[in-house]
Amino acid sequence: MLAHLRRAGIVALAVVVLVGLWELYHWIWATAGWTWPFAVNDTSMPHVWTIFKAFGQPAQVNQPSLINVLLHKTAFTAKEAAVGFAVGAVIGFVLAVVLVHSRLLQRGFLPYIVVSQTVPILAIAPMVVVWVNPKLPAPLQGWGAVAVIATYLTFFPVTINTLRGLQAADQRALELMRTYAASRWSVLWKLRVPSSLPYLFSALRLSATVSVVGAIIGELPTGLQNGLGGAIFNFNEYYSIEPQELWATDVIAAFLGIAFFVLVVMAEKALVRRAPENVA
Amino acid sequence: MKRIVEWLPALAVFVLVVGLWEGLVRALHVQQFLLPKPSTIVSVFWSDRHTLWPAGWYTFKEALGGFAIGSGLGILAATIVGRFRTLGTALMPIFIAANAVPIIAFAPIFGAWFNPISPRSKMAVAGVLCFLPVMVNTLRGLNSAKPRQIELMRSYAASELEIWRRVRVPTALPFLFTALKVASVLAMIGAIVGEYFGGSLNALGVLINNAADVFQFPLAWAGILVASLLGIALYGAVVAAERVVVRWAPDTRDA
Repeated sequence: MLAHLRRAGIVALAVVVLVGLWELYHWIWATAGWTWPFAVNDTSMPHVWTIFKAFGQPAQVNQPSLINVLLHKTAFTAKEAAVGFAVGAVIGFVLAVVLVHSRLLQRGFLPYIVVSQTVPILAIAPMVVVWVNPKLPAPLQGWGAVAVIATYLTFFPVTINTLRGLQAADQRALELMRTYAASRWSVLWKLRVPSSLPYLFSALRLSATVSVVGAIIGELPTGLQNGLGGAIFNFNEYYSIEPQELWATDVIAAFLGIAFFVLVVMAEKALVRRAPENVA
Repeated sequence: MKRIVEWLPALAVFVLVVGLWEGLVRALHVQQFLLPKPSTIVSVFWSDRHTLWPAGWYTFKEALGGFAIGSGLGILAATIVGRFRTLGTALMPIFIAANAVPIIAFAPIFGAWFNPISPRSKMAVAGVLCFLPVMVNTLRGLNSAKPRQIELMRSYAASELEIWRRVRVPTALPFLFTALKVASVLAMIGAIVGEYFGGSLNALGVLINNAADVFQFPLAWAGILVASLLGIALYGAVVAAERVVVRWAPDTRDA
């Protein structure tokens, strides 16, 4: 309990320090008139209180307050990211299980799984939407295609890390199970999968963030207005007049990413007793 | 010879996939704007090489700049924070939380800070994307030296600098390279996403976007091919550097 309080205290202190540094930087650069690395004014670095005040005000006339609008958009983006995360994690896991059983398939496909991540997904997103959208049933229209993009970004870390985890099963235990003529299936579920769990979760932590990134990126070129990506795109147009609205949206987006990450960490704590910290 | 045999399955998969793609597009008469044939993409890739490669090079320079700045600052920050243990443990949750922030959402702000047309705004996006994983992983690496090794060095009256150079840095290197590989991929993606919010007309991201907007999908795909090739080149350069620098590490052939 005390440790929890202390940790919460440190986080609160850090937030205060960060806000202080932000305002201090703003003040020094603005009064000194320094323009390197960029000119500081109320547009480039709005005051923290301006950003938080923006939450309470409507972004457009006759609309509910910004925080209200943003929370709806966040729920929409969170849905895309969560579905993409779940599907990507399952695909990634299954792929790893298939690959661990065949050196040949590993050699055939692993290079492309790595290469697939160098493809700039933002550039492909519009085309993915053109393909996927017409094939989706009505309730999935629009956001389903974005979830596909989140899936694409999510599966990769899961495949790579789970594969490493499945291979990291204790060699002696593997041999022991073989001497008992254990089937591949029971070797998989009783030995390989448990030993891969810490690796799996370190990948899921990464994927949690990445799925949010995928959802936001996916919304940008698809012109989908219901999510955070669409909001970022819109508020970017008005940045020179009302920068605090883009900043407020980004603050919410940051919280969404952190929330996804924290959820995975909590699931990990519940499921895995001791995870090695160092599996990247 | 053995290495060629090892790559055979990958080659077979490549031929199979490209063959299937070409065959299916031809057989099913898929429209150009849905999915161009690989042969069309390659021919555009060749015929438009005088626009594609300069654009690719322009974006690659942005990515490279961001990669160098972000990774450099990441290593520097990890070294400073790693030196003061209590500071490190206090700040670690912040860095981990910052690592979970979708930085892409901040791309338009970097555009507003550093003029959306100039390459500096893309370097900033790529740099921030690279900074966090490099910083977090390097810090983990610096702190993962075995206490017994450090105690042994102390018992030989080694200075802190000596311990840092001979124990901490070598243990951190595999961690650092894992992060640099991640960063190399992120840098290219960061530069292209940055260009989505405006950029010079001769940049690759702008070229891909404009091509897709006017339904010139073969050109868009050729641009994506250029981006991937450059991304792979940067990744490959990091892997090669790792092979040279980290000779003793038994198996770091991970992604």
